[in-house]
Amino acid sequence: MLAALTETLSNRAAAWALRRQGRDSRLVTLERRRLYILPTRFGFAFGFAVFAMLLGSLQYGASLAFALTFLLASLGLVIMHHCHNNLLGTQVRFAGALPVFAGQPAMFRIALDNTATAVRYDVEIEHEGNCVGPVDIAAGHSATLEVPVPTAARGWLGLPRFAIATRYPGSLFRAWTWVHMSGRCLVYPAPAPPGRPIPMSVDTHGTRGMPAEDDSDFVGLRPAADTDPPGRMAWKAYARTDQLMLKQFSGAAEVPSTLDWDSLPELGVEARLAQLARWCLDAAADRRNFGLKLPTTTVPVGGGDQHLHACLEALALFESPQ
Amino acid sequence: MSRPRYTIVPTDRLLWTAGVVTGASLPHWPKLPLWVPLLLGLCILWRLAAKLPRWPLPNRTLRILFAFGAFLGVLLEYGTINGVEAGSALLIVMVALKFLESHSQRDQIILVILAYFLVFASLLTERSIAVAVYLLAFVWITTAGLLQMGRHRTLLPSWPTAKLAARLLLQSVPIMLVLFLLFPRLPGPLWALPGNTSSGATGLSDTMSPGDITNLGLSDEIAFRVQFLTPPPRASELYWRGPVLSQFNGRTWFRRPGMGRQVINTLEVTGEPTEYRVMLEPNGRNWLFALDMPQSWTPIGRRNVIMNSDHQLQAFGLPPALNRIDYGVTSYTTYTAKEPLTPADQQWYTQLPEGSNPRTRALASSWLADDPTPETVIERALDVFRGPDFFYTLTPPALGMHSADEFIFETHEGFCEHYASALAIMLRAAGLPTRVVTGYQGGELNGFGDYYIVRQMDAHAWTEVWLGDRGWVRIDPVSAVAPERIAFGSLRSSAREVLGLRGLSRLPWMRQALLLWDAVNVRWNEWVIGYGPQLQRSLLQYLGLESAGWRSLLTLAVVGTVALLVTLTVYLGWTSHRHRRGDRAARSFARFARKLEAARVRPPLQGEGPQAYARHAAVELPRAAGEIAAIVGSYLAARYEPDADGAALADLEHRVAQFRVAT
Repeated sequence: MLAALTETLSNRAAAWALRRQGRDSRLVTLERRRLYILPTRFGFAFGFAVFAMLLGSLQYGASLAFALTFLLASLGLVIMHHCHNNLLGTQVRFAGALPVFAGQPAMFRIALDNTATAVRYDVEIEHEGNCVGPVDIAAGHSATLEVPVPTAARGWLGLPRFAIATRYPGSLFRAWTWVHMSGRCLVYPAPAPPGRPIPMSVDTHGTRGMPAEDDSDFVGLRPAADTDPPGRMAWKAYARTDQLMLKQFSGAAEVPSTLDWDSLPELGVEARLAQLARWCLDAAADRRNFGLKLPTTTVPVGGGDQHLHACLEALALFESPQ
Repeated sequence: MSRPRYTIVPTDRLLWTAGVVTGASLPHWPKLPLWVPLLLGLCILWRLAAKLPRWPLPNRTLRILFAFGAFLGVLLEYGTINGVEAGSALLIVMVALKFLESHSQRDQIILVILAYFLVFASLLTERSIAVAVYLLAFVWITTAGLLQMGRHRTLLPSWPTAKLAARLLLQSVPIMLVLFLLFPRLPGPLWALPGNTSSGATGLSDTMSPGDITNLGLSDEIAFRVQFLTPPPRASELYWRGPVLSQFNGRTWFRRPGMGRQVINTLEVTGEPTEYRVMLEPNGRNWLFALDMPQSWTPIGRRNVIMNSDHQLQAFGLPPALNRIDYGVTSYTTYTAKEPLTPADQQWYTQLPEGSNPRTRALASSWLADDPTPETVIERALDVFRGPDFFYTLTPPALGMHSADEFIFETHEGFCEHYASALAIMLRAAGLPTRVVTGYQGGELNGFGDYYIVRQMDAHAWTEVWLGDRGWVRIDPVSAVAPERIAFGSLRSSAREVLGLRGLSRLPWMRQALLLWDAVNVRWNEWVIGYGPQLQRSLLQYLGLESAGWRSLLTLAVVGTVALLVTLTVYLGWTSHRHRRGDRAARSFARFARKLEAARVRPPLQGEGPQAYARHAAVELPRAAGEIAAIVGSYLAARYEPDADGAALADLEHRVAQFRVAT
């Protein structure tokens, strides 16, 4: 019950902060007016101890006891300022989010840049009761944290409100700020369970599709250079390893097929999209070229990850307002 | 909020908390029953041993039993859980049990806060510089422990943490000083103290039993210090008056009951007054010592000091002195203490229990037959002690029922109590109203601080006899046997020789060093320990704020604190100001890169340093190569080198603004 109350209060406060500071751009510097600070339960315990010491000192009139009491009271105040300063001036960037399938958590990448001359210790991101981090960010360095957000439906998922917080030093105080940053993650439809084979489409022009390019046979990855075409980047591998790789192919012929919305008349909209997503993945796994035909849009026959992404994006955004 | 929790406490965290609680409890150990530190050590070792495989922690039932047993132990040991001593013991027991079951960050932070509390508990009673320095150093280590335990994951290296803790504490010191000086100090406690004053009572007692050997005279402990504002009297006049004993039951002297009342001061004084200030060590009593004979004195805070009918100064309404107190007195060493004694009083002061010390009484009665003049009687009584058999010793044999008889006729060995008691019995037997005065005699001059130190070993007892018009006259029988004890206060050295004690302090340089150390202590006691309502008022007077009440004081303390916190904010902002300059440099460089991009130079690659990028740009734009190199040079200087006056940054911004690529 207490937790529920805290959450309600926290949400109200965040909404108030949003009205106060407005939505944030993709790069935010944490200024003084948007940083909040409150004692933690340890802070309250510490404060209670200092208060008890004050009573004891008054009772015994012991000068050294007064000195310690006041030293600790000052220490608490100084720690509060250091805690605040630990966040002050941090730059927060939205560093993208790779597409995920509905049901998988969307990982929003938040980069924290420390442009100060001192280390920022124990910086963490909190979202919906989850803590990411804490990380230490050395002077002049950055740290990227991935905020997991559960997904249920396909389409664009906006970056929800999150908090950047620190309890350093001493965990007596928690300084935090709410960030309402624009940023979004594409959520593909969750693919249907595998099993249903891909129907071979009838080529209306009487010819079989030609191999889209001479590069349909995947042989491996190599580190990417800036001059490489983005269509051949191994984006999935990037999501796993953080390193941008280029896919290398050797030429091989492939019979293309077009995955058609109309071939699944018995299913509802979402089920159809799920099945089409499954087929897209199956075809890509077989390294076959394929196209996608939806009532509103058509993706021409093609191959490779970029093509797969285009197809899944078309499915994700089918009949969606954006 | 779900936070990452560690199920297994890392050993380094346990070691940190173990060190912090052990060190914080260390100053308590000498005052604790042995089992309390043993319990703490056992709990710490057990908790650490539980890191080993197959060494279980006690289960819940056992822990509850432990807690209950320890609580009961403290209760039995002290009979209470109130008061500093029992409270500290209980606190340490709690810390030990908490340590045993510590398994989360929460437990460890609580332990660190308890360690602060242990330090605090020591400071309630400890006053010495050495302990204060130790505890202050320990607050530093405890603070480092707090920083470490506040970490969520791995601990930081110890030395940088210690440095940060020192920085935090140093930044706290100014605020602490403001609060220390200005926070309103109240005279007296908030509520009545639990009555465990007997443990605080040291020094003189209010009874005297010659024949029961005491070692009071041997303690080096300081009773009080005296600073003379007028020329000090001769050593033989330094009689510091304490409790007066006038009731005798045959073995023991007691104070006269109901003598707390104040009587009309019948003192007649002649000669020069002696003004001085006494800094009395805590003794758990409300007795104030003053030079024979005090004539006027200052109150202590708002408490009145009165002289009772024994001519002894007492502070009424003051709790038994657990703290040092400080008072000024004016005394006259030449005086006549007249007091009209009623017949009842005369009977009181000549009372002797039936049948006690028959031989002494018979001896005194025989003098009356010869010559009943009091002066003659006194002279003959003192003559007894001047006999060759009598000598002064601190290790006399124990005496039986008729202590004066045995002392005068058999053992002939004794110290001040034996002489004073025997003389009083003789004079009373001769019908002269007599009483025993206890107190201190002499004192040691500390040349470093220009004050006298009176120690427990200077404790003394003498007699006063009432001689009608001449009032109460001091007669010190010890001056008959050991006049040097009175003239030079040389008992100190003879006592040491007798017992072979304090060999070291007889070395002259050692003696000097000890005196210097005592002088430092006096300053410490006077200005730090003694900082209370009185000194605070003097400070405010000095600042011209004598009319400030406690409300304005509190306001002043808060305003001072806020001002210092604002200063701290500015300071913290200023130390991170350099990064803004770095930001400006980065922005300037980004602008430069955009200008280059407009000239079809590709933007810097990910991970490409400014120098590599500049080389690339210089190849693309050979005509601007010189300016590109200059801009990169200023950028590096502004960003990565100490650029106190911002010259490099200004140069960078200027060059970027002026930069043009000729097309």
